[in-house]
Amino acid sequence: MATIAELNSGHLPAWCPGCGDFGILAALKGALVKLQIPPENTVVVSGVGCGSKLPHFIKTYGFEGLHGRALPPATGIHLANDRLTVVAVGGDGDGCGIGMGHFVHTMRRNVNICYIVQDNEIYGLTTGQTSPTTKKGIKTKSTPFGAIEQEICPSLIALAAGATFVARGFAGDVAHLTSLIEQGISHRGVAFIDVLQPCVSWRKDLPYSLYQSKVYKLEESGHDPTNFEAAVAKARESERWPIGVFYKVQKPIYTDEIPFIKDKPLAAQDITDVDISSFVEEFL
Amino acid sequence: MAETNRLNFLIGGPAGAGVAVMGMLFAKCMQRAGLHVFGENDYPSLIKGGHNTYAVSASSEPIHSLASSEPDLLIALDQLTVQLNAKSLTHGGALIYDSNKAKCDCVERKDIFLVGAPFTEMAAKAGGEIMFNTVALGASVGVLGMDFSIVEELMEHMWKKKGDAVVQKNIAAARAGFDFVRTELKTPFKIKIEQIKRPETMFINGNEAVVVGAVKAGCKFVAEYPMSPSSAILHLMAGHEREYGIIVKQTEDEISAANMIAGASFTGVRSLTATSGGGFSLMVEALGMMGMMETPCVIINSQRSGPSTGLPTYTEQADLLFSLHASQGEFPRIVVAPGDVGECFTEAVNAFNLADIYQVPAIILLDKYLSESSKTTEDYRKIPVKIERGKLMADSQMEKEAGFKRYARTEDGISPRCIPGQKNGLHVCSSYEHDETGFSSDDGKTRIAMIDKRARKLSSIQESVIEPSFHGASQQQADVLMVCWGSTKGPALDALALLSKSGINARLMHIRYAEPFPAKRVLAELQAAKKAIIFEGNSNAQMREHIQAKTGHRIEETYLRYDGRPFTCKEIAKHVESMVKK
Repeated sequence: MATIAELNSGHLPAWCPGCGDFGILAALKGALVKLQIPPENTVVVSGVGCGSKLPHFIKTYGFEGLHGRALPPATGIHLANDRLTVVAVGGDGDGCGIGMGHFVHTMRRNVNICYIVQDNEIYGLTTGQTSPTTKKGIKTKSTPFGAIEQEICPSLIALAAGATFVARGFAGDVAHLTSLIEQGISHRGVAFIDVLQPCVSWRKDLPYSLYQSKVYKLEESGHDPTNFEAAVAKARESERWPIGVFYKVQKPIYTDEIPFIKDKPLAAQDITDVDISSFVEEFL
Repeated sequence: MAETNRLNFLIGGPAGAGVAVMGMLFAKCMQRAGLHVFGENDYPSLIKGGHNTYAVSASSEPIHSLASSEPDLLIALDQLTVQLNAKSLTHGGALIYDSNKAKCDCVERKDIFLVGAPFTEMAAKAGGEIMFNTVALGASVGVLGMDFSIVEELMEHMWKKKGDAVVQKNIAAARAGFDFVRTELKTPFKIKIEQIKRPETMFINGNEAVVVGAVKAGCKFVAEYPMSPSSAILHLMAGHEREYGIIVKQTEDEISAANMIAGASFTGVRSLTATSGGGFSLMVEALGMMGMMETPCVIINSQRSGPSTGLPTYTEQADLLFSLHASQGEFPRIVVAPGDVGECFTEAVNAFNLADIYQVPAIILLDKYLSESSKTTEDYRKIPVKIERGKLMADSQMEKEAGFKRYARTEDGISPRCIPGQKNGLHVCSSYEHDETGFSSDDGKTRIAMIDKRARKLSSIQESVIEPSFHGASQQQADVLMVCWGSTKGPALDALALLSKSGINARLMHIRYAEPFPAKRVLAELQAAKKAIIFEGNSNAQMREHIQAKTGHRIEETYLRYDGRPFTCKEIAKHVESMVKK
């Protein structure tokens, strides 16, 4: 079991001062400590982007893969050793742009992993282009006359794709986000958490103060997270931005259908002398 | 007098008629008679209709490819098969057609044994029209003077899982075909198949062989997106998922498949994906990632005619240079192209071992011809197999570690490897360039050190592992050195036998490993050869280019085939003969 200090990797995050990623990192560490998950049993998986550098700043096992591809290796790690805690992180461009196919399919698979989207409505590391969550009309380097396309809502997509835990957090409210991540990791099944996160460099029009004035907590508004239709309605709200758990339901998870890993995960199975006799006999 | 134990057989019919199944069952009857057997299918990319064939060569002598495109025995399940193939029957050959579906008025040959049998009607009587191809199987065996018990035993072996009723119905259907032909046959057919005693063999195709090899190697995770001609690997693995404790995941695309096996492999599980050229193209970024991360994996690319969608159900050997160079940047990899179903098994095991030992991606290059052609081969249980996991650390070793560096710069370039769940080994496995601890770094000195470290890894591989195989005449005696790689081995071996009968001393060098490349041995052979020629299933002589790049030696003569069809032993022999006599 680790403390917050022990989860420090020893490397200082290379994010811009004030970046929302600091809050997300702090919340993830806080949740892992609260859940008392040993660091060696945790794998933080990411793609490529500002937020995807996160695995380097937390002392667990990490997998920093390709842009948009955090979820396939996260799924592979989980299926190969379902005793590990697998947390995937990545930006809105990573998950909803290049990686959208994996996002939808991972949700419908209901694998037991937690997926956190660092959603700042911009491509940061490539210096400020429009992202799938950038609202229509917003000017960016690649849309100097305003984004023409309609933005998407990641939580709505997660709900439509069959996610069994869908939540939204705010990087400026670390205590609340810590609780969401804690619930997401504890949830048996796929957990999706969209985190509203200011980008202090490329979205100066979206400062912390604006988020703070817009967000409100679902748990304080009488929302019933077992009601799918209510969850959809809440996720669609645009005047004010609800944070908290939109939806949570228990369904069989992917590995429930795989009987041979009940006693031992794949990673612990002996492969030194596999008996292929009955297989060979099929070809005699 | 009847010839014994040498036969070329062809069955044809529309897609969906079970042509390949019946052809395979017939081949298994030959296998069970103790013969060497080769079976090859040909079909267009559609589900119903068209013209599908399955050809079988059987002999008491070893064979490695189709001996001839002229069948001695032709089974026609439809009219089109009669029209297209009756003319190629050998003198004295037999054409048995389903008289419920085809007529033979158009066949003008008087030198063949022609019999119309109501396959469909007989099948209906035996318990179901669908068994018309089983009737055809019985008829085929009947013509050849074989004992019916061979069919009976095969039906029991094949269908016992489906229950006794299915077995009995199929036996009755086969019996009807068998008896019908026996009655019709007034004089014995020109070819007779007699049971011979030989150690039991397997009859297996390349896709099946790599799957059995991968299972033996301890592969526990398969992620794949369907693509001809590799999809059978997905199906066969999925069918054995529970028996062997293998998670088989059909993914949303090939990008996911390659990235998923990277994740699974990171946890220490032997992982596999299979695809064809188009899917391999999508995997390329992940291939480079695994090179950078030093995460072992095995990727099967069963080549088909490209580029793009190409000829989906036809063969080619044109992904060699692509497989060798796929991905940006530089990193070591293994590219192995097994030549036959025996090598498909052993190289599948080797690929997993080498990927683990050297912590590199391993690409197994098959092609449609090798993937889907079946051959009799030695029982795999007799092949010794050793599982080698290289520097993968045990839990007990990790307990004692302090300051563990996942990417430690060792003398041989290979670093100790730990997996999630193990204590004292926390690190990030990164697609970025990184230092010895795994932390991303763009420092110039670190960059050079890490590039060099990775590049060193394969230099310690033993020559004996990657050496080409040699067949036919000795280096001193050979008039000509034939060079080939991958699936061309089969027809080339059979060409050697034909050439030997013509008094030509030919030597064959079959290259299996394209990377790491056995440069010294290949160069020595080429320099010693009086004449050399390379046979390849592509239009650019890609292996010739590769050999030249690795050895500086250019093979002057090429014989290239890129019509989507495999080489035949006869065309190879003919070409070599004309070259030697020039």
